[in-house]
This record gives sequence, structure tokens and C-alpha cells, in this order.
Amino acid sequence: MGDAEAFQQLYQSTDRTVYSFILSILKNPQDAEEVMQETYLKVWTSAAAYQSQGKPLAWMFTIARNLCYMKFREQKRQADVGLEDLNGEEAGEVCLPLENLADAMVLKAALDILKEDERQIVLLHASAGLKHREIAADLQMPLATVLSKYNRAMKKLKQYLREE
Amino acid sequence: MKQSTGAGQWNRQQLEQHLKSAVDALTPDIMDQIDLSTPQDAVLGPDLGHQALLRLQRRMRRFTLAAAACVCLALMGGGGFRYHWENGRVESVIGIDVNPSVELSINRKERVLEARGLNTEAQAIIEGMDLKGVDLNVAVNAVVGSMVTHGYLDHLDNAILVTVSNDSVRKAKELRASVVGDIEQTLRENQVEAVVYDQQVIEDEERKALAQRFGISYGKAYFLKELIDQNNNLDMEDMEELSSMTMEEIAKKIAEDSYELGELADRATEASTEEATRPSQTEPESASGTQPPPATQEETPTETETVAETTSKETQAPTTQAVATEEKEEEGGPVEIDYVDYEDGMVYVYFLTRVNWKKPSVVVRDEEGNSYAAMVAEASKKECSIEVSGLEGGKGYTFVLGGLAPAGSDTSVAVKGYFEKPEIAQEVEEDTTSGPDEEEDEGEGEEEAPSSSEAKEEGQESVPWDQTEEEAAGLPEEQQTEKQEEAEQQETSAEASCEG
Repeated sequence: MGDAEAFQQLYQSTDRTVYSFILSILKNPQDAEEVMQETYLKVWTSAAAYQSQGKPLAWMFTIARNLCYMKFREQKRQADVGLEDLNGEEAGEVCLPLENLADAMVLKAALDILKEDERQIVLLHASAGLKHREIAADLQMPLATVLSKYNRAMKKLKQYLREE
Repeated sequence: MKQSTGAGQWNRQQLEQHLKSAVDALTPDIMDQIDLSTPQDAVLGPDLGHQALLRLQRRMRRFTLAAAACVCLALMGGGGFRYHWENGRVESVIGIDVNPSVELSINRKERVLEARGLNTEAQAIIEGMDLKGVDLNVAVNAVVGSMVTHGYLDHLDNAILVTVSNDSVRKAKELRASVVGDIEQTLRENQVEAVVYDQQVIEDEERKALAQRFGISYGKAYFLKELIDQNNNLDMEDMEELSSMTMEEIAKKIAEDSYELGELADRATEASTEEATRPSQTEPESASGTQPPPATQEETPTETETVAETTSKETQAPTTQAVATEEKEEEGGPVEIDYVDYEDGMVYVYFLTRVNWKKPSVVVRDEEGNSYAAMVAEASKKECSIEVSGLEGGKGYTFVLGGLAPAGSDTSVAVKGYFEKPEIAQEVEEDTTSGPDEEEDEGEGEEEAPSSSEAKEEGQESVPWDQTEEEAAGLPEEQQTEKQEEAEQQETSAEASCEG
């Protein structure tokens, strides 16, 4: 299996998961796309050092998380030099380019009201289709914590949307 | 973004669906934007590389069961894989030994990543077959079919050894059952009789070394070592002789010399031709599902004598008699539960077997046999949630789910499981019933009513249960507070106590 082919295969089987993970941290689709691109590039360039670890998602999440935090730092720097608009945009309304309003509404609610770890778990399970057990392994959390956080987050979401 | 979309009516499944479809729509395809001509970092030098790997490994040790098994399997399989990604990652290795020894490495979706012939006979068997990416059952069918056409299974005393390596015992068990089922079906289709030994194995250096030393598959080495360990009159000197034998010869020797098989004895499965319905051929998709199985085959525990001989067993009781089937389910029915978790008045059941739901029903009982208000709130192919109220903390409960069928079958079955409501949850519950509602509070009492209507909306039927007055009142279980967040770390999941 050639490297490029393997990489393509990896990309195809993980893109939604990685995107969900990044989106859950950044909460902004445009930024998420950028970071996703950087993540896969980093995966590509570092792949040789990574053979046989057997836990690629956890490794990719680590890369993605670091890049997300770099993104935050970058945004903060820009905000610090006086781009208040940017800051306002970052903290305020997130534009979700979705045609389906219900989809947009639920995702926006999830991104707005859930805490970061809840967002990660919810998006990884509901959107990316990972099992709770896989999330527990990849996020290095006990399964029981993942389950309870997921359940709490979904209840929160349901409650919020009911009140909306 | 206020909408009049009836957002308040959405149940969990619908929310998940919206989240899924939202992210599906948003996920960009950035593959083309990755410049694969970007040079890859050179692999670190041996020393540095080793250190880096060690560091990584140390960090991952916490949950290395899966990871380690994966690495081990890769080692076992000769390390043919460059990447062990999600679907490109070897999750299980299935060994099929007759005399040709074939190993199929599969990913978690049970698709073949690699098929290897471990001896020249096996290489001839899989020659010309492109099994990569093929479903396991199709591959098993093809391999066994090819063994038949190559004349390996045309004797009266054929024997096949099936070996499953997977880091999860349950998953291995499920795979074992499914592979044995596929093999039996293929044998029937080919009108061949064979004894099928099946085993699930873990990695063991000694046996790996044995396999290498004698040039046999890991599965066979494992099997023979087990055989030698079980029989005082066999020792390692016999290994040489045994390892050069075909499985048929080994089976014959076992029978003639009355060797103890220990646990393996349970695993010997006699496949018969009585039910042969089709001419031989390794037609893809024919391995499972398309041919109606004998009425009882689904509920036949794989670890016992199976198939044609068992047809006199009763068929599975229908949904409404879920309770009556408890005993059978304990033996490990057609639907296997992976694990069960209790949380906030909900029981989450995760299946190993993919299931289709017909008329979901559930009965929850405590150890004294009292039943509790319960209903299947949501159900999918892999999991379901049960709303249940009135349970006391620190006690164990059994539930019987009915109205579900293993994928590919039309027969409704019932499946029994066990869970505990943790003591801690009770404490939190007590603490919070008197306290003010938190932002995220959603009392179970409040939850109860809408959920049941949701379930009905989804065409699910409520469940027969003996409702007491107290339960009928739908006592609120207000549990969600910040306190629970603190408590959750201590709260062990009421896991996997299903009798499967």
C-alpha cells in the first residue's frame, strides 16, 4: 500500500470524525476547515514517525487539538492588536452555512450551550458516529464519564431547544 | 434563530440525526488541498525513534488493551500494514486451519484488510482471489469454498480449526460465532461434513514462538499447546508430530486416543450436510442472510453442539413472552449484549449483534421479582435506551428486552441483561430532590411523559409491566445537578453484567 493511498484511505475514514472534533473545539466552520486542512497536512508529514501505534485517532486528535489552540492564540493576538470586530465575531454569532434550518438550529444550540468536553462527546457520537467506548479511549476518559456527560449534554440540548 | 419547527418536540434520536446531518453537510472535502508532495518528516533515528515510541506508548498505556492488541496483531500478521487507521486498522485476525492455513485480518467493520496463506497449500487456496475490502462472511465463504474445490474437505473426517484474535473477548466471541456459522453454512452448501473447532485467543509469546518454530499458524500452535497442556500423556515432544498433521489427522488422533480437550471440547461443532440446500459455489452474499436458517439455528449457542442436530429445540419465544425466555437467553442467544449502563433513570444497552426492532418491549425486575415501570425510549441497530423509574440505588436489576431480531433474521427474540443502579446516584438524587433546580435539571418525572409520547410517535409500543400505584404516579427522579458531576467520577458504570 503506497503512502498516498494509505493516507487517502485514512482521510476517507476519519474526515468526519476529525472535522467534528475540530468543530467542537473551534465552534466555527470556517476555522474548523482551515484547522482540518492543517491537521491532515501534519498527519501526512508526521506519518512516518507514527507507524504501529495502533491508536491513530487519539494521535490525530492531539494534533488537531494543538492546532485548534494555536488558532485561538492567533485569534487572540489579532484581537489584542485592536481587531475588536474579530473578537466580537468570534465570541458572538457563528454562521452555519446550512440549508436545513433544523440541522442548523440543533448544531448551533449544541455549539452555543454545551461545554467543550460535552461538545466533543456529542459531536463525536452523534455526528461522527463514534461509539462511546471509542470516544472514551480516544479522549482518554472513563467510559462512565463519557456516558454521563453525553446524557447530560443531550438533556441540556433538548431542554434548551424546548425552551427556544 | 428562533423557529417554529417544533423544536421542543425533538427527541434524542432526532437531535442526533440533526447533528449528524448538520456535520455531514458541513464537513468539507479538503483532500485535494493537501499537498502530498510536501516532504514527510524523516523517521527518527533508531534511538530517538525508540524513545519517541516509548513515550507515546507510555501515554497510551491507560487504554492500551485495544491499542496493544492492535500492535500485537500487526506483529502477528507480519506487520504488513503501514497504517492502522480506523478502517485500515486490523481489529481481529481470523485463522482458518484445515491443512491449508489462511489468516484473514479484518477491520472493525469486518472487512478484510489482508488475506494471507500461511503455507503453500493455503497460498494456492487464495491465489487469484482478491479478498481485500470484502466482507468477512463473504471471504470466509470463499476461502472455505476454495478449500472444498481444492479437495481439502472431501473426506469423512474433515476438521477445521477457527481461531479468532480480538482484544475484546465479547467481540471475539461474536466473531467466532459468526465465522463458525458462515463456515457451517458453506459446508452445508457444499455438502461437506466437518468438525469445526473454534477458539478465541490472546497473544502469547510462547505460543507465537511455537508457531514460528514449527512453521504453523498461531491458531494451530495455540490449539496444540492447549491440547498438550490438557493431557498428561502428551508433552512438547509430541508437538512436532502434531504440528505436521492436518486438522483432520489431529481430530482423528484426539478421538482415537481420547484426548481431553478441556474447554476446547465445548467448541467442537459438528457441521452436517443434512440441511444442504444448494449446490456448491462460493457465491458472494450467500454466506448469510439469504438462505433462511433452520428455525432454531439463531438461538443455538455457538459453544455447544450445533446446527442440524438441534432442530428439535423450540423456537424463540415471541416478544410478549420475554420473561419466559430468560433462562434460554442466559445461555447466550442470537442477540448479544455488549454492555449495559445505568444513568439518570435511563438504562443504555449496547449490542454486539446488530438488531432490527419490531415491537420493542421491556420488562425490568429486581431480584425479588418486582417489576418496574419501564419502556424502550429509543432503539437503534446497535443500542437502545430504556426509561425506567422507581428503582432503588445500590440494587441490581434484570431486564428482558423483547421485539428485536438479529439483523438478517425475521424471528423476534428476547434478550436478558442485568444492571445495577449505583448507590451514588441515589445519594445525589436524595440531595437534589430538596434542592432548587439547576439550569440543566430535567426531572425524570417531567421527562417521563414526553418521552413516552415520543416513543409512540416512533411507532414503538409501550411495554407490558406490572405497574404499581407508586410507579403509575411517575415519581420524579430529579438527579441532574452539579453534584452529580462531582460524583460521576466515582460512579462506576453498571457495566456489562448482562448474561451473555
